Amino acid sequence: MAPMTTPILRLQNVKKVFNSFVAVDNVSLEVTEGEFVCLLGPSGCGKTTTLRMIAGLETPTEGEIFLREKRITYLPPQQRGIGFVFQNYALFWHMTVYDNLAFGLRLRRLPVAEINKRVCEIAERFELMDLLKVRAVSLDLSAMQRVAIARTLLTDPHLLLLDEPLNNIRPGLREMMRADLKRMQQELRKTMIYVTHDQEEALTLGDRIVVMNMGRIEQVASPQEIYDLPATLFVAGFIGRPPMNLFDVKYAVEGGHSWLVWRQYRWCVDKVRDRIEAAYPENGLVLGVRPEEIKISYKAPGIHAKVVLVQPLGRKDVLMLELEGETVHGVVPAELCINVGDMVFVEFPPEGMHVFSATTKEAIVHGIS
Amino acid sequence: MKRKDIAMMARSPVISAALRILHRLTVLLVVGIFLIPAVWLLSISFKPPTEWQVFPPNLIPRSPTLDNYIVLFKPEAPKGTAAAMLRVTEPVTKSFLNSIIVVPAATAISVTVGFLAAYAVARFRIGGAFMPFFVLTTRMFPPVAFAVPLLVYYRWLRLIDTPIGLILIYAGFTLAFSLWMTKGFIEGVPRHIEEAAILDGASPWRVLFTITLPIVKGGLAATMLFVFILNWTEFLYALIFTSTKMITVPVQLSHYVGAVGRFYGPQAALGVIASVPVVILGYVIQRYLVTGFSFGLIRR
Amino acid sequence: MRRLVMILKVFPQFLSHEKVFKNLLVLPMQLLLNFLLMPPFAIVIYLAFVNWQPIFGGWTEAPFVGVSNFIRLFSEPRFYEALGRTFVVAIVAVAFEFLLGLGLAVLFSRPFLGRRICTSVILYPMMLPWVVVGFTFYLLFLDHGPVNYVLSSLFGPAGMISWFRNPVPAMTAIIIGDVWQWTPFMFLIFYSALGALPKDPKEAAMTLGANAWQIFRYITFPMIKPVAYVGLVIRALECFKIFDLVYIMTGGGPGVSTETLSLYIYRVAFKYGQLSYAAAVAIIVLLGIALVTRIAVRPLLKEAA
Repeated sequence: MAPMTTPILRLQNVKKVFNSFVAVDNVSLEVTEGEFVCLLGPSGCGKTTTLRMIAGLETPTEGEIFLREKRITYLPPQQRGIGFVFQNYALFWHMTVYDNLAFGLRLRRLPVAEINKRVCEIAERFELMDLLKVRAVSLDLSAMQRVAIARTLLTDPHLLLLDEPLNNIRPGLREMMRADLKRMQQELRKTMIYVTHDQEEALTLGDRIVVMNMGRIEQVASPQEIYDLPATLFVAGFIGRPPMNLFDVKYAVEGGHSWLVWRQYRWCVDKVRDRIEAAYPENGLVLGVRPEEIKISYKAPGIHAKVVLVQPLGRKDVLMLELEGETVHGVVPAELCINVGDMVFVEFPPEGMHVFSATTKEAIVHGIS
Repeated sequence: MKRKDIAMMARSPVISAALRILHRLTVLLVVGIFLIPAVWLLSISFKPPTEWQVFPPNLIPRSPTLDNYIVLFKPEAPKGTAAAMLRVTEPVTKSFLNSIIVVPAATAISVTVGFLAAYAVARFRIGGAFMPFFVLTTRMFPPVAFAVPLLVYYRWLRLIDTPIGLILIYAGFTLAFSLWMTKGFIEGVPRHIEEAAILDGASPWRVLFTITLPIVKGGLAATMLFVFILNWTEFLYALIFTSTKMITVPVQLSHYVGAVGRFYGPQAALGVIASVPVVILGYVIQRYLVTGFSFGLIRR
Repeated sequence: MRRLVMILKVFPQFLSHEKVFKNLLVLPMQLLLNFLLMPPFAIVIYLAFVNWQPIFGGWTEAPFVGVSNFIRLFSEPRFYEALGRTFVVAIVAVAFEFLLGLGLAVLFSRPFLGRRICTSVILYPMMLPWVVVGFTFYLLFLDHGPVNYVLSSLFGPAGMISWFRNPVPAMTAIIIGDVWQWTPFMFLIFYSALGALPKDPKEAAMTLGANAWQIFRYITFPMIKPVAYVGLVIRALECFKIFDLVYIMTGGGPGVSTETLSLYIYRVAFKYGQLSYAAAVAIIVLLGIALVTRIAVRPLLKEAA
């Protein structure tokens, strides 16, 4: 769906090469004002480099970047009005918290009284009032993060860029800070672009998620869409814990019907035959089923499988099954009390079966019913 | 063009290339100026005596010669009346050997002792306000005045003209440097990194050697280089405390004075040779000056 | 036997105990200083209060003269002149070295091809023995030396300066020599300090709107201040005692017009044989420097609190 208004940020075929290593390859993206966008992907996929190019800390090798439709591709970071929160917070550790916060404002030569007012306002909001006179070097992590964010907000940037800021926070605190961040973003309605490799984080925080891999964008969509309708094999395999189960299957036409064939089992795909056939199925197909969708029971029908591992997670159990020599993950309610060594029957529901092309790695159809 | 447009261009590939060229040119200019005296020295080392003081001076020797270098190693060999007036009877190798033994040993002792003490001062404030300052006073005393009393003391200790004696003196007098320089670098390491390690249960020794030491490696390298240079070029005490056995290079240099005047040629030659080890050391040390010098924001 | 084992077990903990640890660290230094430098220092003090003239006997037999050496010192104009000269040289030379060293370090802070080699070249002057530097510059500034040659080609024969015949040009030549030799030191200090700085705060400052100069002034420079200050103090201290360079280039001349403090002491002690007086001068110099440095260093001692 095309956005109705002008996007606040637009990347156009941006490419970045370091010494013959392609870090970012042909990335195009549009961000609307007030959105919370997450750049998600494994280490080295180019998400941080992309972020830095938006900020101006790196210059693209090819392509253009537009801020409110003004070309900023080669503009130095000083003049972009874009805030950046670093992974290690990059506070000025020889200065006090107050000085850190006031830094941007002082550069703009605002009167002292005004600076004081604004700093105190934001210090109040971020619970930093007691720490104003403390030197940045002696703060604890959570305080550092707050100072880092507050510092950028004070300069009223067009948008805020965050580079894995919660990476170094221990898990318990992390969820809390995540919630604070989301809440704050919604209140302030500041556009935020957030880089992370933690899919849970991205799915929780983002209005839209940009999944990247090896310098390219795999998919841009809302968290729900990313989860339910993964556009590529990579996205399917990356999102979800435990990850989606994938099988190499063949396409066969037999007895007037179309089938997906795996080992000695087959599923009828008549309803989506056109779509499948349009995608050169003879080159190979991949079938994906999410663990949550698999039906597991002690009764037939289904594929015979043996329970190898049980991971209790409160009301659910995550099972690792051995199925025809393949390892498959499934999720069942805890009440079933399934144990290691049990023999169960596994069924794949048609609406939960995703078919991908083995060659293009793209999704062909989600659900075969 | 409006200012904004210029600013937008500012980072364009063309302008940054131009800036880069300007940067390189400046570097070359500076390096060139720095080289002038050294080049002149090199030039003299290859000139025969007749060209040593000639006007207008020429950079390239008209009749270049290796005599100045040869004479360093074979004092008996020279020819001509001027050379015969040289007081030097020993080849240069001996003094080189002495310097090569004494200086690194003294440097190692000085930097090690200084580093350990600097850590205690920087982190635990040992000695309070007085002791570190007191150490500094060892450098405030004009060495000339110290010479005679030190001579008396050393004679009593029977350390004159021994390698140990010289090593100890050099280590002792450069200690103030080692202490203060490494102290500065240690203080630049944020404490919370060390505190994190202590909370993990590391002993203070562990913290010192596995956490702090790697971070200040660069600073230590710079200190070591500087102390080495100080010792290598030290003249006064070597002169006083050695006679024939332990002559070091700087003292040897001063011997190239004849009855007529100074022997610039051989002195220049020796100067050139004497700086070779230090230059090599400097080149090698550079690696530690910058790399592996992370002000590691090691966080968890 | 069991006792021994127990002690061995406790030993590492003992060593790690804070008090033991910190005292152990300073022990080698204290040993070295106390046994090596203290006795001669005591002798110097002794000498200042007696009148030792070696021709009359050993130092233990010298007659006691109280503070007469010191009194003489304070009324000696030559001493004050030497003092003033030394100040001038130290301040001018060190100022240049500081600025040049800093500038060079900034220039070299961004990597470029051949940086290592260029750095070695820059560091080279520091590594030459004083003697060599001294007479290299002597040769350069000779009446018929290269410097005058360049001057005469630029400004004609009138542009040539008789460097060593007048006090001011002579001091200038000495200062130039010192700056050439020791700018590398400040360069080294700044270079390693700059290299250690984390990159992130600078980038953060950029995104907040700071231009290159502002970043340097508010971020980079404050971060290297402690190290810079140490370097400054050390270099100023050394420069104050300047001897070898002056000795070789001018010998204190013409006359006594370029005589620095160290040279003055040297002359008094070895040329005139007045060792006691020399000792007195040395002690006063020491006290003076100590006082000044003490005041200058106070901010450093408070720094890491």
